[in-house]
Amino acid sequence: MGWQRYRQGLEVSNHRTIYINDHLKNNFCPNWIRTAKYSKWSFLPRYLYLQFSKAANAFFLFISILQQIPDVSPTGKYTTLLPLMIILTVSGIKEIIEDYKRHMADRLVNKKTVLALESGKCKVNALADEAFLIDDAFYLCPLLALPETAGVQTEKQLLSISGKIECEGPNCHFSCFTGTLYITDRSPVPIGPDQVLLRGTQLRNTQWIIGIVIYTGFETKFMQNAVKSPLKRPKVEKVTNVQIHALFLLLLVMSLVSFVGALFWRRAHSADMWYLKRREEKSHAFGFDILVFIILYHNLIPVSLLVTLEIVKFIQAQFINWDEDMHYKENGVYAVARTSNLNEELGQVKYLFSDKTGTLTCNRMTFKKCSIAGIPYSQSSSRELNDPTLLANIKNGHPTEEYIKEFFILLCVCNTVLPERDGNNIIYQASSPDEAALVKGAKNLGFVFTMRTPYTVTIQAMGEEYTFEILNILEFSSNRKRMSIIVRTPTGQLRLYCKGADTVIYERLSKDSLFMEETLTHLKLFATEGLRTLCVAYADLSEEQYQHWLMDYKSASIVLQNRIQRLEECYDTIEKTTHHMIYQNCQDLGNMLGKENDLALIIDGETLKYAMGIGIKTDFLNLALSCRAVLCCRLSPLQKAEIVDMVKKNVRAITLAIGDGANDVGMIQRAHVGVGISGNEGMQATNNSDYAIAQFSYLEKLLLVHGTWNYFRVTKCILYCFYKNVVLYIIGLWFTFVNGFSGQVLFDNWCISLYNVIFTSLPPFTLGIFEQCCSQKDLLKYPQLYTISQKGKTFNARVFWIECLNALAHSFILFWFPTKMLEHDMVLQHGFTTDYLFLGNFIYTYVVVTVCLKAGLETMFWTKFSHLAIWGSIIIWFVCFTIYSHFWPTIPIAPEMAGQARMILICPYFWLGFFVVPATCLIKDIVWKSIRNTQKGSLPLNSQQLESSKAKGFEFSSVFEKR
Amino acid sequence: MAMNCNAKDEVDGGPPCAPGGAAKTRRPDNTAFKQQRLPAWQPILTAGTVLPTFFVVGLIFIPIGIGIFVTSNNIREVEIDYTGTEPSSPCNKCLSPNVTPCVCTINFTLEKAFEGNVFMYYGLSNFYQNHRRYVKSRDDSQLNGDAGALINPSKECEPYRKNEDLPVAPCGAIANSMFNDTLELFLVSNESDPTPTPITLKKKGIAWWTDKHVKFRNPSGAGSLEERFKGTTKPVNWRKPVYMLDSDEDNNGFINEDFIVWMRTAALPTFRKLYRLIEQTSDLRPTLPAGQYYLNITYNYPVHSFDGRKRMILSTISWMGGKNPFLGIAYITVGSISFLLGVVLLVINHKYRNSSNTADTMAF
Repeated sequence: MGWQRYRQGLEVSNHRTIYINDHLKNNFCPNWIRTAKYSKWSFLPRYLYLQFSKAANAFFLFISILQQIPDVSPTGKYTTLLPLMIILTVSGIKEIIEDYKRHMADRLVNKKTVLALESGKCKVNALADEAFLIDDAFYLCPLLALPETAGVQTEKQLLSISGKIECEGPNCHFSCFTGTLYITDRSPVPIGPDQVLLRGTQLRNTQWIIGIVIYTGFETKFMQNAVKSPLKRPKVEKVTNVQIHALFLLLLVMSLVSFVGALFWRRAHSADMWYLKRREEKSHAFGFDILVFIILYHNLIPVSLLVTLEIVKFIQAQFINWDEDMHYKENGVYAVARTSNLNEELGQVKYLFSDKTGTLTCNRMTFKKCSIAGIPYSQSSSRELNDPTLLANIKNGHPTEEYIKEFFILLCVCNTVLPERDGNNIIYQASSPDEAALVKGAKNLGFVFTMRTPYTVTIQAMGEEYTFEILNILEFSSNRKRMSIIVRTPTGQLRLYCKGADTVIYERLSKDSLFMEETLTHLKLFATEGLRTLCVAYADLSEEQYQHWLMDYKSASIVLQNRIQRLEECYDTIEKTTHHMIYQNCQDLGNMLGKENDLALIIDGETLKYAMGIGIKTDFLNLALSCRAVLCCRLSPLQKAEIVDMVKKNVRAITLAIGDGANDVGMIQRAHVGVGISGNEGMQATNNSDYAIAQFSYLEKLLLVHGTWNYFRVTKCILYCFYKNVVLYIIGLWFTFVNGFSGQVLFDNWCISLYNVIFTSLPPFTLGIFEQCCSQKDLLKYPQLYTISQKGKTFNARVFWIECLNALAHSFILFWFPTKMLEHDMVLQHGFTTDYLFLGNFIYTYVVVTVCLKAGLETMFWTKFSHLAIWGSIIIWFVCFTIYSHFWPTIPIAPEMAGQARMILICPYFWLGFFVVPATCLIKDIVWKSIRNTQKGSLPLNSQQLESSKAKGFEFSSVFEKR
Repeated sequence: MAMNCNAKDEVDGGPPCAPGGAAKTRRPDNTAFKQQRLPAWQPILTAGTVLPTFFVVGLIFIPIGIGIFVTSNNIREVEIDYTGTEPSSPCNKCLSPNVTPCVCTINFTLEKAFEGNVFMYYGLSNFYQNHRRYVKSRDDSQLNGDAGALINPSKECEPYRKNEDLPVAPCGAIANSMFNDTLELFLVSNESDPTPTPITLKKKGIAWWTDKHVKFRNPSGAGSLEERFKGTTKPVNWRKPVYMLDSDEDNNGFINEDFIVWMRTAALPTFRKLYRLIEQTSDLRPTLPAGQYYLNITYNYPVHSFDGRKRMILSTISWMGGKNPFLGIAYITVGSISFLLGVVLLVINHKYRNSSNTADTMAF
């Protein structure tokens, strides 16, 4: 694909130069994107390539090719090709539908109008240097907003600008950008993420801007991000793959055994078998003979498994999307399964990693309490802060009046909130809800943040208007955990305001800071109440100090790579604000070591750094695993991902990470299952997640109900697919023992190849789609039931091989019973004798019946579709069999089948065997199942037992561990 | 113009793959199917619930099995091996290839009379008619009277496709190895009368209807059968060409019933094929009364080279076919096992209920 070439070709250079108003020098990728996988022409080759790179499909293609060699295939030339084609067609149609949607979306994006400036004309949709953007337009590519220093007024002037931008090459990091703008005859200007408009951002409060296009098409940060999500493979799939390989080995062993058998048989018999005159020796080469058996047994590996699972999982994902219980009515958001291949993994989650803020809480913040200059102000009710003493203190000239004012001015100034006027009302657009809460809180107390320009902030304090000149914004980042702003106050003083997590603020306070002790006490008090806390501080700067720092800052910021802000700040006074938030007691790691269970471990980011050190990493992990819950506070995104990684690598358990913000992306991608909350903090988490839900509480249903169901469905479906294939195709092996190891098949070729695609194709679907191990009510009421799927008890190598042995036993009965019944060939009323296909059709019918009834035995939840699939499949076989027996010679296929149905359906033996053979096979299964159910209890029974044990006062241990 | 391009306030609707936009417009119907609340039957298999089924199955299967077993036992069947490998056998002389044609006679006695229609079979052992190379060595188009296939038989027939540059009709290994012994049956009416009475053996009506009328057809065309087969040659092992298998026009060529029967390849290396019918002539007399019989064999078919055996079987037929005790025994066995398991389950159920009952009473 084209864009991959672009990516590979251009990513090599990790910095690029853009020449302003010089189109010829700018040679980058065109400004269109394609997320669709296929084009009209590339579909077939690319689709086939993708399909055949799957081992199973490649194997069947290989078999299909082998069948073309004359005189090798015992089953005809096209009998594997046809089902393979049917299966590829089915999944091809699914691919086309999905890709069509992507094409439509791409078209929508690519057709968006862009105004571009080129030689005085406005051009549409081109890679131009500058682009006009009209209010509320979405950007298709990252734009660099030209800093005002350019100072241009007219279009002509714009065109006359010459210069260049040096910046980093395309990358996937949203929140960083470093570049430098060189305009001829001016000093270079540093450019940071603040000046960049990413693709898809919306322009607000601004009529127009002029920008320079930096990245286009696939090189936009958004697209760079979109293509890099890692492919996750569910555990069940891994187990299945191993078993497929094991089956393949078994297939080789069976072929080898048959081949050796053939050698011995030939030595013993063939000397004088005049009726079986052999051909020329060449076709009897070793290789050819073994190929015969490989082709004969190859169907042991279920050809339809992959496509069945694909469709089943697709529908399971739709069930998640459709679920009304996970529909957040307030903004009409449904749960979204962004991938369908992890459905069953939802049922196996053992460790849950959750982001706290915004995920566990709804991220609805209110300004509740504050402590200013050592005096706490609060409101006992749950509503916003409105302490009369506070207002009184401001008005009555309390000794701390200045501090109080300064505190609220800081709240208004030190933020990145954008006030938007809506008539008389001011709406605050904030990237994080706590900032909005603080500004709103200040507004309620008479400090109104009214206007923001790039270089000024205007506030209204107690009726008077003040304008602060913003000199520098030292932005918030999750690593720094604070933001600061340097302003020139209306009185002309230089001042630094800082806001951030208590730990980082306290570290930076000067030794002679005021109110440190009192505030710390209040901080602890607030924290114990479960409030989210922040500290604010300010410092007065001297001109000299500032200029000195500015020099440092500029030199640091013009550097393209590794731009670090080496900024030392000092703070004097502190005040403090609080929000409500789930919070728990904080302790040190040292105190906790060695204790076990029923404890919660709380660790902060700083400590975690040491805990994750090489020496004590294992100890820490063991400690963490022994605790019911581990709370990690104040972590950087990288640490979140590291913790997930540590558990994932060292513990063989499924992990799930849930989060709502960009800082959770790392752990969401790293965990086995990533869940994003489509909440207030933008789409970053959602776009990188596997499942997106609107509320944290929906996770319960997603895991306990959908997870458990899907796990049981998928595993039952897989086991059943293997079972039915082993049952039918092992019969080939039994038959080999009586036909001189010649590789003759017992059934008609087309019956063999249509077994998986028609006659037994429906039961796996009903098992995979409609099966319910127990009711939703029980699953939610007794989370203990989750352990069954969590521990993977119903699907592992042992279960798999037991199922295969069971299938082997069934096939043994299914072959030898009818064979014994027809031993003397005299089963028809007029004394007619029979042929091998007569026996074959007996067996085939019994196999279809047994296999369908077995599906019925596995079904615990018989919907109308289950009935349709199970009884329908049997009926379909009979109908097809009857029609098929009348093909020859009108339709020139299946001469051996001619007249079979006619004779078989009136044969008394057939109907007598019809009841006894499947009954013999399934009697063991029924007994085994019912005894097990009686002793241990099945799932629905389990819940009944739980109910009764609850009445007896047993205590439950929680299954649902949150870490 | 201040824009905070924090990663957190990314987009809504820009990316083609962003689900947010789609999620908002999508309004699923609140149907039982979509909400997974379809009405369903939820059977739970426990010892208690399946127990009656086992008893019922046992009670039904055992009588059926006994019925089948008795029926099968009532079928008269006699089997005569005439391979002739034992030196004492009258057919021993025919083992050497020099004696042609070789006719041998075997005496046997029917202890009891055979009533109703009697069927005469030949049986072969250790003959792998189900061998892959053998099974496929035929051309059904040719056998269906297709003119093209008659002259140009399928490649599958190799090496019995052409003989001396003439196409073989019928081609292939199956046809080539057709059974060609002739069996005749004589009743020794009584000791005093030395001339035995020949039993009328009917050679038509031994093939499936579809075979005779649909699957096998002689080449079409005017003229005698011989002319229609012009340009073909007989299979190597055959004594006479296909159009001379029988004098009866309706039983000659490809639609010769002996040939049709042979062409249905058996499933197992030991098999029987229907040879002749002995029809009941009157209700008063048994078809084959008890007594002494002669079996006259024109011994052509060599089986001793591969340790095969040849048999002649006379059998009556019940409503369910020939004699085979297996199915009856199977029914009785499965029925008994089912019944036994029912008892086992009863015990388990009882025990389990008792233990849970005591647990319950202890709890209260």
